[in-house]
Amino acid sequence: MVDFLQNIVDGVMVGSGYALLGLGFTLIFGVMRRLNLSYGPSVMVGIFVGTWFHLRGAGLLAVIAATLAGTVLANVYVDRLCFWAVRQRSAITAVVSSFVIWMQLEEAVILVFPDRTYPFPRLTALEPIELGPIFFRAEYVTMFACVALLLAGVWLLVYRTRFGLALRAVAQDPVAARYMGIPLDWIGLGVAVMAALIGGLAGLLIAGTDQLVIPKFGLWATYKGLIAMMLGGMGSIPGAVCGGLLLGVAEIQFVWYLGAQFRDLAAYFLLFTFLVLRPGGLLGQAIVRRELAAFRRI
Amino acid sequence: MLALEGLTKHFGGVQALQDLNLKVSKGSIMGLIGPNGSGKSTTVNLICGVFGITRGRILFDGEDISRVPTHLRLSQGIARTFQNIRLFGQLTVWQNLWVAQNAPEQKHGEPFLRRWFGGSRRAQAQVQGLLEFAGLAHKAQEQASNLSFGEQRRLELARALASQPKLLLLDEPAAGMNMEEINDLKQRVLALRAEGKTILLVEHVMELVMGVTDQIAVLDFGRKIAQGSPAEVQQNPQVREAYLGTQAR
Repeated sequence: MVDFLQNIVDGVMVGSGYALLGLGFTLIFGVMRRLNLSYGPSVMVGIFVGTWFHLRGAGLLAVIAATLAGTVLANVYVDRLCFWAVRQRSAITAVVSSFVIWMQLEEAVILVFPDRTYPFPRLTALEPIELGPIFFRAEYVTMFACVALLLAGVWLLVYRTRFGLALRAVAQDPVAARYMGIPLDWIGLGVAVMAALIGGLAGLLIAGTDQLVIPKFGLWATYKGLIAMMLGGMGSIPGAVCGGLLLGVAEIQFVWYLGAQFRDLAAYFLLFTFLVLRPGGLLGQAIVRRELAAFRRI
Repeated sequence: MLALEGLTKHFGGVQALQDLNLKVSKGSIMGLIGPNGSGKSTTVNLICGVFGITRGRILFDGEDISRVPTHLRLSQGIARTFQNIRLFGQLTVWQNLWVAQNAPEQKHGEPFLRRWFGGSRRAQAQVQGLLEFAGLAHKAQEQASNLSFGEQRRLELARALASQPKLLLLDEPAAGMNMEEINDLKQRVLALRAEGKTILLVEHVMELVMGVTDQIAVLDFGRKIAQGSPAEVQQNPQVREAYLGTQAR
């Protein structure tokens, strides 16, 4: 029982990282109706920029700033190239081109960092906290606290400001929004920056916990974020968070009771179960139904 | 106010609009009628800048706006409603009006943070005024998708007015309305004219068109076949032919 509870605690902490990645995906998908496969790789570029500074002896704050800046630059690059340039064209074209940019980013990073595995600084050097029989790893607690703060910030931005209102208007009807004087290009750029800051933070927290970075982080981040988004329901903000947490808990439980090799299987198992039993995800029924209707028309 | 000069639009081989010349003078209501597929909606879409024009020019207040992007035409003072209602269904009535306040003086005339978090008194008063105009003041916090059909139409009209446009494009505002609602709409349109708004009204419902317009232009197969006062247009044999076929003569 204690094991089970400990797993849930660890799972929620690990899952909060996934929740951030899912949140970034869901923002881009919800507002722009585009799947940005290069989202994970831009986070990877960001943490490699951070590592570059770390290797040259920069302090922690500089590394954090460099990571966030790198992610924002990479993601804006992707947005301008894949979603701005081909915005008028089909969604499929944009998705395919985002896949191409992914390859490009990964190769560029490997070119600059040929050794594949590099160190990343620890974010906190605190001791684990013990609460009765349950352990809280300091890194995980930091991660969870950052995620909670960020979620509150995103919620405020999306539901309490005029920018958020414009975002939601674009998400619901981009055509009408354009006529109402909302500039889609700027909204797209705003979303790209927002998603990049969220992803950059996720990258920082995850790389800081593992204390190493590899070019395959991009694949990993895209895969975790996509699954978190799909579990929660495409385009739903609370859904992505729930999906991420659920994925984290499931992974840790699988690892504990079945073995480490089953970790990734947990994600596929969850995804399979959801696609069969609740294809709209936890909270995203309406949106998916609309997408399905669009598919039938094609 | 608005002048279309030789406006032409081809979609591939289809000539949606052929050499349209049209002048709408300030403070007047121009009706645009014609059978289905005659190019009325294309005209509205071109004025809003949905797609590029093949030939010709659009002059607004003497300025050539043919190349101005869609979202900036609102700041020029052009707003529209849609044939099939396009409200932001998951926003409240109040938010639908507030999000559309994007005219330059509304954007820059207010402190940034004020505007960012809910708007100044003046902006809120404007929204309140629109709510009353549309008769929706008691439903300000209702989600737009929960409104009845007539209420949604009224909200759309109010939303188009939110940016205080000089020119209002109404694309079949009476479609699907019953007699009572049409009369109601007629009163609102006349009230808008009294305020000095210029209106281009695309409509099938003759009851409304004949009742409120100063001038009517008739399109058929992308060409203008007649223009004049409602009475003149009704008598025009070419118009009767376009609507009823040759047999009717």
